[in-house]
Amino acid sequence: MIEVIFAAAIGALFALGVFQLLRRDLIKSAMGFAVLFTAVNLFLLAVGAYRGEASAYTANLEAGLMTSDPLVQALILTAIVVSFGSYALLLGMVYVVSRRYRTADSDEMNNLQN
Amino acid sequence: MNNLFVLGTAFLPIFGAVVALLLVRYDRAKRWLSFLASLAAWACSLVVAIQVFGEGPQTYRMGGYQPPFGIVLVADGLGAFFAFMSATVMMAGLLYAVHCKDKCVSYPAFLPLFLTMETGLNGALLTGDIFSLFVFMELMVLSSVTLVAIADDSLGLEAAIKYLLISGMGTLLLLLGIADLYASFGTLNMADMAQQLVTGERPLLAQGASVMLVCAFLLKSAVFPFHFWQPDFHTTAPTPVHAVLSSVVVKIGIYGIIRLLTLLYRQEAQAIGSLLVVLGLIGVFYGGLTALRTYNGKRLLAYSTIGQIGFILVSMGWGTPLALVAALVYAFNHALVKAALLMVMGLLSSRTDPKSADFADVGGAGTLMPPIIGALWFLGGMALAGVPPMNGFISKLAIVQSGVQVQQWLPLFLAVGAGFITLIYVIRTWQAVFQRKNPDLKLTIKSYGDGVIAPTLLIALCVLLGVYAVPLLHVAELVVQQLADPFVYIDAVRLFGD
Repeated sequence: MIEVIFAAAIGALFALGVFQLLRRDLIKSAMGFAVLFTAVNLFLLAVGAYRGEASAYTANLEAGLMTSDPLVQALILTAIVVSFGSYALLLGMVYVVSRRYRTADSDEMNNLQN
Repeated sequence: MNNLFVLGTAFLPIFGAVVALLLVRYDRAKRWLSFLASLAAWACSLVVAIQVFGEGPQTYRMGGYQPPFGIVLVADGLGAFFAFMSATVMMAGLLYAVHCKDKCVSYPAFLPLFLTMETGLNGALLTGDIFSLFVFMELMVLSSVTLVAIADDSLGLEAAIKYLLISGMGTLLLLLGIADLYASFGTLNMADMAQQLVTGERPLLAQGASVMLVCAFLLKSAVFPFHFWQPDFHTTAPTPVHAVLSSVVVKIGIYGIIRLLTLLYRQEAQAIGSLLVVLGLIGVFYGGLTALRTYNGKRLLAYSTIGQIGFILVSMGWGTPLALVAALVYAFNHALVKAALLMVMGLLSSRTDPKSADFADVGGAGTLMPPIIGALWFLGGMALAGVPPMNGFISKLAIVQSGVQVQQWLPLFLAVGAGFITLIYVIRTWQAVFQRKNPDLKLTIKSYGDGVIAPTLLIALCVLLGVYAVPLLHVAELVVQQLADPFVYIDAVRLFGD
C-alpha cells in the first residue's frame, strides 16, 4: 500500500514541478525546479527504502531481518546538497535579473533574441 | 595499486581554486597560480596518458576502499584520451585568462570557478562511479553558469538562467537514470554494472535508463532537440570561458555516450547509433546553415560547434572501430581548433569599442592588427573547414573512410556536403574581419603580445597534428581496441580485489 501512495506522490510532485517549470514567471519556474528535484529525491529513496524488513539504522536488530538500504539515503543527501546549491544560484540570478528588468516575466526578457 | 597522477588530473585544479580564493588581493599572483594549477593537472594527465597507453588502465581508489563499495577513479584509454584533451585546452584557456583584459577576469570568483569547472570536467571523465559522475557534472555546470552570469556582457545573466533551467532538466534525467540503474543492479560502480550485464539478464528498468542517460548527455552536448541554450550561453560567455565551453565542455556528452555504448549498452548500441546518425546530420545542417546567416563572430563559432558535434555524432553512430577512431580524432582536433579560433576572435572583439564580435563592430579589425593574428585565424579556419595540410583534414578524411567502409552513402554524402558549408562561413568571416577595410573603425590600443601565446600554441599543435597525424591516430586506435572489450575496463577496476 505504502508503495502505491509513494509512487502517486512522486508522480504528482513531478507533474506539479514540470507545470511550474514551464510557467512564464521566472520565480515560479525556479520553484518548479526545486519541486522537481524533490520528486527525484523521493524516487531515489523509493529505489531502496522498501526492500528491507527493518530500518536502516537500528540498535537492536532482530535476527534474520534484512535492513533496508542505507546507501540511497547517502545519495539523497548528496543530491539535496547539489539541488540546494543550484536552487540558491538560480534564485540569486532571478533576483538580479528581475531587479534589472523590473519584472520576472520571462517573455519580457527577450534581449537575447536579436 | 593507486596512481596519484589520476587523482592529480582531477583534483589539482580544485586545490588551485582554494589557494586562488585566498589570493584575492594579489591579482597577478592569482592568475599565474591558477595557470600553474592547470599546468600541473595537464602534466598529470600527460603522465596518465603515457602510462595508460604504455602499461594499461590506471586507477585510484578514493579513501582506499575497495570497489564497488568505494569510489574509484579509472583512467582507461577513453578516459585518459578525453582527460588529456580537456586538460590541454583548459590550460590554454587559463593561459589566455592570465593576460585577458576583460573586467570579469579580475573578479575574485572568476579563476577559482574556472578551476572548479576543470575539476568537474576531468573528474567526470575519469570517475568509475556513476553517482560521482553526476556530482562532477553538476560542479561543472554550476561553475560554468556562474562564470557566464558574471560576464562583462550583461546578457550573460539571462543566458545563464536559461541554461541552468534546461541543464537542470538534464540533471534530473541523469539522476533518474542513475536511480533506475541502482534499482536494477544494486550498485553504482560502472564496472560492476557492466559485469552483471555481461553475465546476467538485462532488466527492463536498465533499458529504460538508457533513454534518460542518453538524453541527459545529448543535452550537455547541445545536440539537435536540446540545442537551443547553446548559442546564447556560449556567445555571452567571457572569451576564455567560451573557448573552453565550446571546445571541451560540450565533449562531456560525447564521452558519456561513447562510455554508455561501449560499456553498459553494447546490445542497444546499434539502435542508439542509428538515432545518433540522424540527430548528427540534423545538427550538421542546422549548425552550418545558421552559422552562414549569423553576423557575429563569437555566435558564428558557437553555431559551428553544433555542426561539428554533429559530425562526431554521425561517426559515433556508425559505430565501427574505424568510425570510433574518426570520432575521437575529430573530437580532439575540433577542441584545439575551436578554442584557438575563439581566442583570436576574443582578442579582436575586446579591442573594439562596444566590445562585441558583431561584424558591424569587429569588421575590418583584422586589417589594423598585426599580421600574426590574421595568420592564426586563417590557419585555424582552414583546420575547421578541413583543408589538407591542417589537422581538420585528417579528421574529415577519417570520417569519409569510415563512411565508405560501412557503406552509408546518404549520410556520408550529406556530411561531406555540409563540410563545404564550414568552408563558406569560415571564408566569409575571414573576408569580413581581415580583408574588408573599415575606415570608421577605431581600435583600443593595447599590447596584444601576451594574449597571442595561447592561440599560437594551439594552432601550432593543429599544424603539427595535420602534418604528422600518426601519433594521434595510433592513440585513438589503441583507445578503440580497449573499448572493443568491456573486460579491459572491468578488470582494471578489480572489483572486490585489493
